[in-house]
Amino acid sequence: MGAFQGRLVSASALWPGSLVLRAFLLLPIVFLAAFLIVPLGLMVAVSFWQRAGLFIRPALVFTSYVTFFDSVRFAILERSLLVSLEATCLNLLIAYPIGYFLAFKARPGTTRVVLLLFTVPFLVNYIIRTFAWTYLLGRTGPVNSLLIAVGLVDRPLDWLLYSDFAVLVGLVTSYMPFMIFPIWLSLAGIERPLIQASWVLGAPPVRTFLNVTLPLSLPGVFAAVIFGFVGSFGDSAVPVIMGGVGYQLMGNTITSSMDVLNYPLAAAMSTVVVLAMTILLLGWYVAFDMRSFLGKILDWRV
Amino acid sequence: MGEGGTLRSQGLVWLSVGVALLFIYLPLGPPLLFSVGVGETGAGTLTFSRYLEMWRNPVLTGAITTSLEVGAIVAVLAPLLGLGAAMAIRELRAPRLILMLMLMPLFIPGVSAGLATGLFFRELGIPPSLVTISVVQVVWALPFATLIILIAMSSFDPVYLEAASVTGANRLRAFLDIELPLIRSGILGAATFSLILSFNETIRTAVVQGGYNTVQTYIWATYKQVGLSPALYALMSLLIVLTLLLVAAFVVAGARRGRASGLV
Repeated sequence: MGAFQGRLVSASALWPGSLVLRAFLLLPIVFLAAFLIVPLGLMVAVSFWQRAGLFIRPALVFTSYVTFFDSVRFAILERSLLVSLEATCLNLLIAYPIGYFLAFKARPGTTRVVLLLFTVPFLVNYIIRTFAWTYLLGRTGPVNSLLIAVGLVDRPLDWLLYSDFAVLVGLVTSYMPFMIFPIWLSLAGIERPLIQASWVLGAPPVRTFLNVTLPLSLPGVFAAVIFGFVGSFGDSAVPVIMGGVGYQLMGNTITSSMDVLNYPLAAAMSTVVVLAMTILLLGWYVAFDMRSFLGKILDWRV
Repeated sequence: MGEGGTLRSQGLVWLSVGVALLFIYLPLGPPLLFSVGVGETGAGTLTFSRYLEMWRNPVLTGAITTSLEVGAIVAVLAPLLGLGAAMAIRELRAPRLILMLMLMPLFIPGVSAGLATGLFFRELGIPPSLVTISVVQVVWALPFATLIILIAMSSFDPVYLEAASVTGANRLRAFLDIELPLIRSGILGAATFSLILSFNETIRTAVVQGGYNTVQTYIWATYKQVGLSPALYALMSLLIVLTLLLVAAFVVAGARRGRASGLV
C-alpha cells in the first residue's frame, strides 16, 4: 500500500472553500518561511556585507570569507570536520547495534521502555549534562580515582579533560540518543519477508545483513548521520566546556565573532555550516524515499 | 548457533545497552549532589540553603519568571502550529515538501539558527523581548510538535470525517467533535514536549534575549563569566527535576492514549 494512494477522502475535498481552514494549514508554513528561511537568507546576505565600526553595511564583499579561509580559522574548519567525523563514526558504532537490537531482538514492550530511557536524558539540556562531565573526568574526579584505585594508572590522567578525547565524550553523549531513533525507525520498517527470503535462499546471517538489512536501513542511517554530524559540527557549547581555554571548533568560533560584533564573519562561518547541512540534506532527499522512513507516520490508516 | 551462544550474545547486547545508558545517565547525578553540599564544591554537609537563597536573588527570580512565561507561550503556540502543519501534510499537495520544511529546524545547528534570527530581528529593528525569545523557541519546538501530532493522527480513520460531512456537520464541528477527541492526547503530548524543549533551550535563546534571561541562559552566562558554583548546581537540579517530572507526565499521557486506542 503506497503512502498516498491509500487516501480515499480528504477534508479539503469534503469541505471545499473553507478559508479559515486553509489559513490554519498555511500558517505554520508561513511562520517557518518568515522566521527560518528568510533569516537564513539574510544571514547568507550579511556574510557579504561590510563592517563599519560597530555597524554593518549592505555590500558585496568577500572580506569575511577571505578572513575565514585565509587564517588560523581555516585550521578550525579542518579540526571541526575531523572531530565531527570522529564523533559521528563513534555514534554510529554505538547507535546502530542498539537500533538493530531494538528492532529485531527485543520485544515491543522492551523496545518502548529502552527508547524512552534513551530519550529522557536527551531532554535534559546537554549543556548541564556536559558540565557534569568536567567533574567526572577531572583530575580529582571519580573516573581518575577509580583508575588509580584499581591500579591501572598511578597518576591521574590529564588527557581525560580539556582534550580532543573530552570533546568527543561530550559530543557523543549529546548526540548519540538523537541517532538511535532514525536508525531504529528504518530498521523496524523493513518488511520481514525480505529477510526471511534471504534466509530461505540459504544466505548466511552476515550476508543477509550486508545484502538486505543494511541497504534497507540506509535512509535511517543517513538521517542519523546528518543529525550527528551537523549537530557536532555546529555545536558551540561542548568545545567551550570540554575543550578548555583556547579550544576552538566552528560553533564557538562563530559565537566569539558575534561577541565582538563581527556579524559578517559570524554569518560567513555559519553559512559554511548551513551549506554543509543543505548538501547532506539534499543528498538524502534525492537518494531516499522519505516514505520508506516516515511512511508509517505519513500513511492514512484506511 | 547453539542456545547457549544465543543466550550469551543476548547477555552481551544487554550489557552494552546498559553501559550506553549508564554513560548518558551518569551526568545527571553530580549537579543533584553538589547542589545539596555533597561532593567537591560543597561544604561537605547536607544543606538546602542554595535552594532558599535562590529566591532572594532578583536576577534569578526574573530568569525563572521569563522561563515560565516563554514556556507557556511556546507550549501553546508550537502545538497549535504543529496541528496546522500535521493537517497540511495530510491535506495539501506536496506533503513531502511540507514535512521537510517542518523538520528543517532540527537540522540547523543552534548557533546558526540563533544568529540568523538575531540578524533578522536586528535588521527589522525589533528589540529583544519575550516575543523574540518565544519565536526562536517555537521554531525549535515545531518539528517535534508536528511529528507527535502526526503520529497521533496516523491512528485516525478519515472515514469518520466523511460520515460527519454526509450528516451535514461543518468543518469546525467535525474537527471539534470527531478529530479533536481522538488526537487530544497527541496535542497534550506536543505541548508537554514543547515546554520541556523551551525550558532546556540555551544557544538560540542567548542570541536574541537582549536584557532578558531564562534560567538556561543565566546558567550559561554565569558559567562563562565566573564558572560553576553550588548555586548554579541548584538551578541545574531544579531544571533536571522539572524536566523529569514533565517527561513522567508525558509518558502517563502516552500510556493513556495507548490504552484508549487499544495499541497497548
